Amino acid sequence: MVDSLIPNLIQASGETFYMVALSTLFSVLIGLPLGVILVVTDRKHILENLILNQTLGWIVNALRSAPFIILLVAITPVTRLLVGTTVGTTASIVPLTIAAAPFFARLVEASLKEVEWGIIESGLSMGAGPWHIISKILIPEAVPSLVLAVTNVIVNLIGYSAMAGAIGGGGLGDLAIRYGYYRFEPEVMLATVVILIGAVQIFQSLGDWTAKKLNKK
Amino acid sequence: MIKVSNLRKVYQSNGKQVEALKSIDLEIEKGEIFGIIGFSGAGKSSLVRCLNLLEKPTEGSIIIAGQEMTKISAKELRQARRKIGMIFQHFNLLFSRTVFHNVAFPLEIAGVPQKEIKERVLELLRLVGLEDKAEAFPAQLSGGQKQRVGIARALANNPQVLLCDEATSALDPQTTKSILGLLADINQKLNLTIVLITHEMQVIKEICDRVAVLEDGRIIEQGSMVDIFTGPQTSTAKDFVSSVFSQEVPVEIRERQFTLGGKRSGRKLVRIIFVGESASQPVISEIVKNFSVDANIISGNIEHLKDKPFGNLLLEIAGDNGSTEKAIAYLESLGLGIEVIENGR
Repeated sequence: MVDSLIPNLIQASGETFYMVALSTLFSVLIGLPLGVILVVTDRKHILENLILNQTLGWIVNALRSAPFIILLVAITPVTRLLVGTTVGTTASIVPLTIAAAPFFARLVEASLKEVEWGIIESGLSMGAGPWHIISKILIPEAVPSLVLAVTNVIVNLIGYSAMAGAIGGGGLGDLAIRYGYYRFEPEVMLATVVILIGAVQIFQSLGDWTAKKLNKK
Repeated sequence: MIKVSNLRKVYQSNGKQVEALKSIDLEIEKGEIFGIIGFSGAGKSSLVRCLNLLEKPTEGSIIIAGQEMTKISAKELRQARRKIGMIFQHFNLLFSRTVFHNVAFPLEIAGVPQKEIKERVLELLRLVGLEDKAEAFPAQLSGGQKQRVGIARALANNPQVLLCDEATSALDPQTTKSILGLLADINQKLNLTIVLITHEMQVIKEICDRVAVLEDGRIIEQGSMVDIFTGPQTSTAKDFVSSVFSQEVPVEIRERQFTLGGKRSGRKLVRIIFVGESASQPVISEIVKNFSVDANIISGNIEHLKDKPFGNLLLEIAGDNGSTEKAIAYLESLGLGIEVIENGR
């Protein structure tokens, strides 16, 4: 193994990167609109609709309350339906997205609620409709905080992807379990942990730095 | 320009009903600066927000520029709001946009072409004296500058009405003066109708033509600004007036023994209020000559109500055989405001 350690690590890192990148993308695409809906349909907001708001809130909570390892197994039929298989890196993107999208939606909700009502009110007073309020006020004003939310999702997905690896998803988690645990090669375990720590540190710093740059407050 | 009739606003909170506005009737003429003053909780904010329907009236009618605001569709309301500018106590600028793009915002949502936006924004920034701050972000500006951006933004779509929600309450006195100066200037230049709510009588005194005093959801007094200042009727209005001109007479002065003119009696302590022209008449020397009373000026000051001089003189008068009374009657006949504070014998 030691000879093939480096190529193995490179391949596994690539798989992890692939899983995290795509599931982050899908989580943002799904979670952002969900978060926006959770905010604007809330009581006294621009598109108040309490039934929609509470239903959506309930679904988001339900998805978030399932432990990831359970979710991973529980939604295999959905995964098969969407990608035709339940094993491999591509297949693991489905549970990763389903786990991260509602989490991101809640982070988006919290970020958008930070935008002061006075600013929204000023938009309304200028004749802005709901779409303009969302696209020109709510989201742009929350950008620094949304960048931190995405960073949070990436860091979480790096952790989740390692778990997905454990049930045949590939990536660094898979490598660590198969070589480091089952074959008792501690240096593989150590190397994957070092890479994961490094990746999390880099993404977090990058996220913090970008958010700070974008913050004009 | 604005006609409000029988406006009521009821809030529901925790199952309880709170009546913030109780049957408000108001008429505001085109081109005037109309002040609404009240203590906090009087319903000022609700009232101004009902005008552009940021708060939905529970009952009543609001007509602005001939349009019944409570009966129009959401789309028509958005159109109407573009012609009703509004500025806020906390400015409510977009932090993520530069000054230029903050002012461009209402033009963008109105669908104005980019090239016109640029010209219009630069013109507005010149109007409010911020042409050099176009690329700055709001966080880099002082309070006064932020409110100037707010004003430029509110004027972008050439509104007919400007609503000011405590627009100077977060500013220091000097900045308040300069913002009020700017508002008065815009009012003149653009013949813009301005509705201003405030809890500061100083603001009313500086620029308003007419005033309504709001208390507990009702308009308890209303009239020209000069009338409210020179003859407030309700105790709330009196409180507001005395917040600007202290009407207190120190007890030592009220009660001090008559010392004027040796043995003469009939001492009275009188406040004389002059407005406009009358402020320049030599009334004191006239009463001294014609009624042979003695007059001692205890205090006096002169202020401006918008552009009218407004004088306030505290006078001790004494004379024999009812001459004091005659002198006072003469002063009243000149149309001066007279208030007898101490009526000695």
